[in-house]
Amino acid sequence: MLRIRNLSGYYGRIQALRGVSLSVRAGEIVALIGANGAGKSTLMKAVSGLLEAWDGIMEFEKVSLKSRKPPAIVDLGVSLVPEGRWIFAPMSVRDHLRLGAYSRRRRSDTAAIERDADAVMELFPILRERAAQAAGTLSGGEQQMLAIARALMARPKLLLLDEPSMGLAPLLVEKIFATLVQLRDQGLTLLLVEQNARAALRIADRGYVLETGRVVLQGTAAELLDDQEVKRAYLGRDYREFCEGRD
Amino acid sequence: MAIWNRARECCEREERAQEQWEHLQITLNRAYKNVPFYRNRLQSRAIAPPRVESLTDLRRIPFTARHDFSDQYPYGLFAVPLRDIVRIHTAPGTSLNPTVSGYTRSDLRMWREIAATGLAACGVGADDIMQIILDPGLANWGRDYKDGAEELGASVIPLNALHLKKQLMVLRDYKISVLITTPTSAVELLELLYAINLNPNALALRVLILVGEPLAAEVRRQLEDELHVSCWCHYGLSEIPGPAVAFECEQHRGLHLQEDHFLAEILTDSGEAIENGEPGELILTTLTTRAFPLIRFRTGDRARIISEPCACGRTLKRIEWLPERADGMLVFRGVKLHDEQILAHVEHVLGTVPRSWRIRLEKEGARRELVLSLAMDERLFSDEIKELEQVVWRLESELLQELGIPVAVRLQERLE
Repeated sequence: MLRIRNLSGYYGRIQALRGVSLSVRAGEIVALIGANGAGKSTLMKAVSGLLEAWDGIMEFEKVSLKSRKPPAIVDLGVSLVPEGRWIFAPMSVRDHLRLGAYSRRRRSDTAAIERDADAVMELFPILRERAAQAAGTLSGGEQQMLAIARALMARPKLLLLDEPSMGLAPLLVEKIFATLVQLRDQGLTLLLVEQNARAALRIADRGYVLETGRVVLQGTAAELLDDQEVKRAYLGRDYREFCEGRD
Repeated sequence: MAIWNRARECCEREERAQEQWEHLQITLNRAYKNVPFYRNRLQSRAIAPPRVESLTDLRRIPFTARHDFSDQYPYGLFAVPLRDIVRIHTAPGTSLNPTVSGYTRSDLRMWREIAATGLAACGVGADDIMQIILDPGLANWGRDYKDGAEELGASVIPLNALHLKKQLMVLRDYKISVLITTPTSAVELLELLYAINLNPNALALRVLILVGEPLAAEVRRQLEDELHVSCWCHYGLSEIPGPAVAFECEQHRGLHLQEDHFLAEILTDSGEAIENGEPGELILTTLTTRAFPLIRFRTGDRARIISEPCACGRTLKRIEWLPERADGMLVFRGVKLHDEQILAHVEHVLGTVPRSWRIRLEKEGARRELVLSLAMDERLFSDEIKELEQVVWRLESELLQELGIPVAVRLQERLE
């Protein structure tokens, strides 16, 4: 579904991605794990069109993403749940959902959009309770649910999630990730960037490990969870141990 | 015939190309990061850190050769720390140093899958009883085949040190249905059958998997006709190490390369990489090996890539394994040997190298024997037959010990 070859991405003069190739097949949850600064978020920005300075090949359903603006990429069926959620504090929950359907405003009638809003509130019942409330009054976990719900309103085929577990209590992370699995089972494809490698790999089908802008490992999630190197580096032990004596 | 993993073996070519590309970049990134040998070589060509974004880029990367294994003895080519290694394997090298390779747990899983894929293609399944007869020089293949057969649920008699006569007893009494061996050993076995008056019809054997040497059409015909079996050829490398890198399907038209684990290139005699189906030296790069990656390894085997789709439905490219070699090495019972390596062992035993020597494969009918002939000179000579016999015995046992295959030593007055 998503195919990336030799992706290099730049922030000004800093190269954050150095020839990354990866792919996401329809119906998969793919986790992208790596330390801070490994290039995970840059990759998400490049796919969603927010990063303009990139080289390489990116195709979504065999359509090139080269020089496409973010709205055009949303139209193709790719939605981003950004890092830090980007919730507008004074705006109500229901308005956030309507905002998520912005790109559909000409194509769909309002009734269809409202029906979809009801459907995503089915997924996150707490949002229904808070529908009229200003988003700024929601808890961190609720805001994250709102950010996901908003992205779903564009009816994506591929959902990009950038650090959805950030700053959330473990129980909430579990709840949100369970919803992601539910979405996958309904046919959605997900690309998930996470520092919380264990949580991400538990729900993912496959994973890639990114390090200083390069992919250094890939495999099924089960293989990666069981991998000595991944355990040392991302599942709780010091990464330096891996390279001992090899500098 | 069963396809073990349809998703893997029959996937779209475009998807496979993407996967190969991803794995190739990971392999290069890891080799650069973890193996000083590869890092230095890439740096010396100013391609470090490796940016391989096309086949042209790949061709700038230097080859790896067999002598690199001896130079990096024992652990120099390992790409993971030793504590991640769960198996260490020693194979005969090309010099006095053997080739040492390691496997991580994920490598062992991978080889299990590779061997199972190759065996399933020959129709091996849970109802089979499988015997493996290989010389000690190919002991690692024996282990991988055992693992692969167990994955398929077959009953395996693992590699052992039984004499050929005993092996034959096992073959008959245990009702073996699948036998893995080299073409040379298979022919020896056939001769032994006749020698002890055992009718091949008394055997339950139905599948004969021949490994280690290219399979000549007439040998295949002879074995199939006289043993009443179907023959299947597997290509493997004793270095990586592993069997069934490429395997035959029921079409028997070339060997399917396990492309999700290996990237193949063909190199012409002039040193150019080609893609047009011309014959040349087979160059392999491992894509999924963690502990012992090989980058652009010169196999010394000659092959031709067949790109046309195969009627069996697999999309894995096929190779035609050609009998001659690209590097002048001898292959005997699947073990690769270099003249100089044999001489080094001779020198080690005798303390000297005879002025005149010859090593060659002697054929008698379908039977092949590796013979080392040494010309008698004053340093070797003794007027006691016993002492001369002693020299022959010492040389033969040293060579068997070091190379894992029998070598016949002959002392001659002069070599023609």
